Amino acid sequence: MDNENEFTGADILLKALKDQEVDTIFGYPGGAVLPIYDAIFGQNFLKHVLVRQEAGAVHAAEGYARSSGKVGVLLVTSGPGVTNVVTGLTDALMDSIPIVCISGQVPSHLIGTDAFQECDTTGITRPCTKHNYLVKDVSKLSETIHEAFKIASSGRPGPVLIDIPKDVQFAKSKYIPKKDISFREHRIKAGSKNVDKNFVQELVNHIKNSERPIFYVGGGCLNSGPQASQELIKLVNKTNIPITTTLHGLGCFPGEDKSSLGMLGMHGNYEANLAMNKCDLMINVGARFDDRVTGRLDAFSPDSVKFHIDIDQSSINKNVKVDFHTNTDITQTLKEINSFIESNNIELEKKDYTNWWGQINDWRKKECLHYEQGEEIIKPQHAISRLYDLTTQKDTFITTEVGQHQMWAAQYYKFSKPNRWITSGGLGTMGFGMPAAVGAQMANPDSLVIDIAGEASFLMNIQEIATAVQYKLPIKIFILNNEYMGMVRQWQELLHGSRYSESYVDALPDFKKLAESFNAVGVRAKNVSELDDAINEMVSIDRPVIADIWVDKKENCFPMIPSGAAHHEMLLSKYDKENPENQEKGKVLV
Amino acid sequence: MSSTSVYPTPINAFKQSKRSVLSVIVDNEPGILARIVGLFSGRGYNIEALNVTVVDIKNNLSRITIETLGEEKVISQIIAQLEKLVPVHSATNLANLSESYEAEICLVKIEFDNNEQDQKILNFADIYRSRTVQKRQNIVVYEISGTSERINKFLDDLNTIGGIKVELVRSGPIGLGI
Repeated sequence: MDNENEFTGADILLKALKDQEVDTIFGYPGGAVLPIYDAIFGQNFLKHVLVRQEAGAVHAAEGYARSSGKVGVLLVTSGPGVTNVVTGLTDALMDSIPIVCISGQVPSHLIGTDAFQECDTTGITRPCTKHNYLVKDVSKLSETIHEAFKIASSGRPGPVLIDIPKDVQFAKSKYIPKKDISFREHRIKAGSKNVDKNFVQELVNHIKNSERPIFYVGGGCLNSGPQASQELIKLVNKTNIPITTTLHGLGCFPGEDKSSLGMLGMHGNYEANLAMNKCDLMINVGARFDDRVTGRLDAFSPDSVKFHIDIDQSSINKNVKVDFHTNTDITQTLKEINSFIESNNIELEKKDYTNWWGQINDWRKKECLHYEQGEEIIKPQHAISRLYDLTTQKDTFITTEVGQHQMWAAQYYKFSKPNRWITSGGLGTMGFGMPAAVGAQMANPDSLVIDIAGEASFLMNIQEIATAVQYKLPIKIFILNNEYMGMVRQWQELLHGSRYSESYVDALPDFKKLAESFNAVGVRAKNVSELDDAINEMVSIDRPVIADIWVDKKENCFPMIPSGAAHHEMLLSKYDKENPENQEKGKVLV
Repeated sequence: MSSTSVYPTPINAFKQSKRSVLSVIVDNEPGILARIVGLFSGRGYNIEALNVTVVDIKNNLSRITIETLGEEKVISQIIAQLEKLVPVHSATNLANLSESYEAEICLVKIEFDNNEQDQKILNFADIYRSRTVQKRQNIVVYEISGTSERINKFLDDLNTIGGIKVELVRSGPIGLGI
């Protein structure tokens, strides 16, 4: 006889998701997850979003997580279902995005027999998840799910996968609620709660004595929560120290603020990179000295004392040796720094770094983001600038694909709040943006969600337009269409003698007709005079829209630090002469 | 990498590839060894030797000892990466402890033809205080333990004897801090 306190594995999963306050799950059914889909059929707290390919589910979960600050959840079947999410899991690992992936597995007794749709899921996903599980015993299921959510969202967040064999989904056990689980501290790795007082004091002393300080802020500030951004703004205003952010740090500090130098790195602003090169005090808040940021390491910020706040111990001294570090939460640390300054009445306002700001303003006069917009052909930079001007009044979420358009979006779209900018940084996954927009729109149904895309990236996950249509998600896909894999073409031009090997995208679809065939809406702008109308029309339509913006095919993304070059060796345009020795060294890098 | 700090960093401290023995305490659960080995291969670190055994049945803990080669900076990074793995309780570089002891065990099977060889083998076995596990007419198996260096030396000495055949197995070093 059935014990009424016992539930099937599938029901335990659903109970645990409810307990974790999950309201949205992205997924695709298949043989090994049918019991879970049966459980989903009979409930109403959880909205299931049926994607068109599992890659769409994982990027949607990432977009959902990034735009909401919650854990993104997806459900896929065994074998090809789960191998299709490997790219997205790696993407989430690189960019520290909390997601939980539930995958079905063949029944326990068939594991290891090369059964239909069997694969070694935990083996394949081990290096691309923060942690993963194969649940062989239904009595361990509740605890495993709750631990998975805790691990995904604690410390440096990341993807966690739970593989559940089909027989375990049918087997019965008691459900253990989240509140009854005592997590083992060594497994959660949440970082220290107590802020290091010495670090704070040392930092404030250095701020007092420095002449050329700079904040270098990354995605860790975002992951620490919106309050981190508030504390950061407070600290920057108090100290009048210039601030530059990484690609993922955009939005942690208002991009239009006078203290903001914009993004740094390979396609960062001239003033930001020069300031990093010449500073005497660098305060790294949740950034990881990525190669796209540092340029050539032996010439990276040679004269600075470096402070590093990062919850991840392995980020410290990995690429760049720092002088002081702390592995505590950024919100707590910044709060402590602010209150230390206040409670000790340290008057930093008087120290306004006049010479330093004078120098920075001279660099700003270079106007590194300047471009010439002619009367006919739309410059891609202009398209983004107009998009920004025409949508800045709304609470807009921007996702991107990967390539030139992504860098132009980072340069010309300004963010004033965190979590509004969702892009694939570490892994650089083409095809990320559209499914991510689906996820962001699910989390923010009343906001404007725009995927700034290139036509080549968009084609990689184009099937998800059907998902947007099915769930009436009015996402906008803003394609900067130059008929090239633009960034590939740019590198071929700069480093491979303009031999455009396989970077021209021939036989493109008619994106307007394509939109219509999916029951979405297509708009197009072929020249400058049509641009504003196309953007306004796109924004005004309460349905998924594909905007096909024809842009200059030969435009390159500048400024640029070529691979293997240092911050002060950046190119402002293609007319800048590059050192041929650097060029040869750079060629072998990525 | 060169020092990028105004605080001078001795370059040599970062450049020298050193042998280190790491002691890692982990939850004894499926996949833990694969996680550790995968971390080493995925990030391009070396494993010179590896040893895994359950050491605490009640708390379900295993101790993994890994001998690795790398600059000090790389070793610190390995420790930090190991400690990020969920089932890992702690990872320690034994060299960083004020006091630690190391030992390795080795079984050596030696086949010989004549008395002269036998005498030489016996002599070395005696010098290194190795224990006879089995002795037949022209075959002897010894067990020798101690630091890896000591075992290396014993094997080097054996190799000076011409015409014998040696087959061996080594546990890799294990170590404990005090």
